[in-house]
Amino acid sequence: MHSIWAVATNTIKQALRMKVAVVFTILLIVMLVVMGVSTTGDGTLKGRLQTFVSYGLSLTSLLLCLLTIIVSIYSVTSDIEQRQIYTVVTKPIRRFQFLLGKLLGVILLDVALLCLFSAIIYTITIYTPEFSNATETERLQADNEFYTARASIMPPEADVTEEVDEAYGQLERSGQLPEDMSRDEIIAELTSRKKLAKRAAAVGYELVWEFDNVKPVGPDESLFIRFKYDVAVTPPDSQVYSRWFAGDYRQIKYGTKIENRIYTFDRKDPVRTFREIEVPADAVAKDGYLAVGFLNDPRFNNTSVIFPLEDGLEVLYKADTFTGNFMRAVLLILFRLIFLACLGILASTFLSFPVAILLCLVLFFTASFSGFVIESFDYLSENIGVFYSYTFKWMIRLLPQFDKFSPAKFLVPARLLEWSLLAECAALMVCIKGLLLLVFALVIFSYREIARIII
Amino acid sequence: MEYAVETFSLTKIFSDWWGRAKVYAVDDLNLQVRYNEVFGLLGPNGSGKTTTLKLLLGLLYPTKGRSVVFGGDGADPKISARIGFLPEESYLYRYLNARETLDFYGRLFGLRAKVRKMRIEALLDMVGLKAVANRAVGTYSKGMARRIGLAQALINDPDLLVLDEPTTGLDPIGTRQIKDLILMLAQRGKTILLCSHLLADVEDVCDRIAILYGGRIQTQGRVRDLLQQTSKKQITTDAISDSAIEKIKQVIEDEDADCVVTSPMDKLETFFIKTVAAAQQQAQPTSGAVSTTRIGGFLAPQAPVESILDKLASAPISRDTSLETPATEQVVPAESSEPKPDEQLLSELTEPAEPLGTKPVVKDEKVKTEPVEPQGSGQEQIKKSILDQLTGHRRPQNADSEQTDKSQAGDSGDA
Repeated sequence: MHSIWAVATNTIKQALRMKVAVVFTILLIVMLVVMGVSTTGDGTLKGRLQTFVSYGLSLTSLLLCLLTIIVSIYSVTSDIEQRQIYTVVTKPIRRFQFLLGKLLGVILLDVALLCLFSAIIYTITIYTPEFSNATETERLQADNEFYTARASIMPPEADVTEEVDEAYGQLERSGQLPEDMSRDEIIAELTSRKKLAKRAAAVGYELVWEFDNVKPVGPDESLFIRFKYDVAVTPPDSQVYSRWFAGDYRQIKYGTKIENRIYTFDRKDPVRTFREIEVPADAVAKDGYLAVGFLNDPRFNNTSVIFPLEDGLEVLYKADTFTGNFMRAVLLILFRLIFLACLGILASTFLSFPVAILLCLVLFFTASFSGFVIESFDYLSENIGVFYSYTFKWMIRLLPQFDKFSPAKFLVPARLLEWSLLAECAALMVCIKGLLLLVFALVIFSYREIARIII
Repeated sequence: MEYAVETFSLTKIFSDWWGRAKVYAVDDLNLQVRYNEVFGLLGPNGSGKTTTLKLLLGLLYPTKGRSVVFGGDGADPKISARIGFLPEESYLYRYLNARETLDFYGRLFGLRAKVRKMRIEALLDMVGLKAVANRAVGTYSKGMARRIGLAQALINDPDLLVLDEPTTGLDPIGTRQIKDLILMLAQRGKTILLCSHLLADVEDVCDRIAILYGGRIQTQGRVRDLLQQTSKKQITTDAISDSAIEKIKQVIEDEDADCVVTSPMDKLETFFIKTVAAAQQQAQPTSGAVSTTRIGGFLAPQAPVESILDKLASAPISRDTSLETPATEQVVPAESSEPKPDEQLLSELTEPAEPLGTKPVVKDEKVKTEPVEPQGSGQEQIKKSILDQLTGHRRPQNADSEQTDKSQAGDSGDA
């Protein structure tokens, strides 16, 4: 253990004295402060905060990722290339201890820098309202929709299997099946159409979603209906006029006595933009039941309104504080850094500095856009087929999905980052993928010749 | 375990990326280094000396054959804890200063902080870098880096010292110092394996040598046996009268032999050291390493007789007082204060009857100059190493008896 620690502290000293870390730190501090002062967002306090947190954390994450890659690779490859390793591995230290020491050093450096930067971001975020001349409404909005951590409930997906089967049967009987598509493709197409139809409201029609297990923190807290409209025909003013209901729908459905108040909202919202409706918590029934209704107002609209499948509608309620959420978001970044440190160490055990850097950067950016990459390859797979799905697909899935665990994705909409998601990220990124890389690195490094000469 | 280092048909073949163009860097090498011997690997550039050392230390893996160090694998932490290694160049972390460098290596050995600090100070003192110890080693000259390299090889008080070209880049005083150090460590029962192509250095310190060429041992044996001209004899005397010389010549002619009479020359090395020592005494400033011929306290020979009183008097003090040797020495009357380097050098150099320097041709014994050698002063002999007390290194034998043992061992080994 003492030798691991010796190597780790030496690595930290190296990163600090070779000024790599110092340059990154100064750069980031300057940028964060400048951003904290200069960001405006969409003009509101909430928008400003969202922009700052989003860009601040993304920038911190990006720069620390690059720093981790550079430091982890440089500290191993330079030891090998400049041969300081000759005097180190001939001391009573196992090869794996040397690598673990390097890894520990890089991770400790990351932890220290991450603490520093997240503290800066947190402080600026918390104190921004005090130094801005925001109105009381804006502050309230920021409190409700930014300085919080809200859990989200999505309406369950409608089961459309039967309808799809029926529609497919009809097409088959009438001989209208498209010839250039396979059966699976037709079914998939029909399924998505039917599902979308369930989330579309024609002019004058109503949509109702029912939720169970809605548990706001207290009776004074508000609920938020977050939605985004899509429309068949964009209206001239790009606005949708609507009436929203929230409350215990069962009272109307079964004609019982109205005990819980049902709230109604008449609204005008732009299309294809996320909007939120604040609903008092007493709209929720005692057993956690809540129904949300949407009426496509026939007086002003003349187009069908569709709520997109993934994020068209959800109900949000406060479940934790902003601070707790922020700390979990920072942990997400840390997991990402640990993974990259393992990757860097692995690359440097068998590659020279420039090659290892290149490899890691490519993998890093691929992982950052993993959703896009996976999607595009899935699309390609229709043409490549079997070969792809059994080889390349798995390799891509081995990459960590940085975009899936992006901190800004949770902090900007003030969405609860659940411990379970954090644990999933830790398990996937650190415990499985990171550890796998590290094991490879240790094996390679233990068996390679340190003083190898290639003639 | 008859040998400290032994190799069995050790072979290393370097190949290119495709596995072609084979170079036999080391070819079927059978090397035996005995305990407590100074062994020299000689050979021209590219003859496989360094490769052999790297194979021993596990930096390279043999293509064929194997090597054994202290009865085990040289890369095993248990074994490597007893090895000190100085590579062909001092590969140091440029951003650390001298003290941090030694501290880092000390920590790799798991030395306790107190022991570490003491040894670091002793070593810095020994290699003459105390004044520049807070400068990053990246700014050091080659010779200074070499000195730090040597210091890191000694931080664990190793039983086997592996030195790859130990004297390259060093000034003559540094070279002399390393040679003295090697001899002194050998006296303490250490085994030293060095490789070099500087023949003069090897000749001065090695008990046995092997000459490599093309990765193979060309010849191997005791330096004395290999070099001694048994068909000739040399007599060295004080300045005697011409008539006495004539008488001796007469005697020799009676034996039917030829004889030449000359005055022996000083070695250039001795002359150089004398000159620099004179300059040092005038305290001329230097930004480089200060050359001392002091040997690190914990490496110095043990006291011949350690009285119980001494132990009792010094043990608690050495635990309590912090690390400065002078402080301890002031408190413990039994220990003499260490002589100043300049005085040592001077007294050594002005010694009229330097035992072996005046016999340049006879190679019966190694040339020795030991400023702090036990014979030098009676008081020096009693000097104990605080570090050794702390670390529990105790060597009951006195230096003289070790010397005797060693030469006996060497003789019997070669017989």
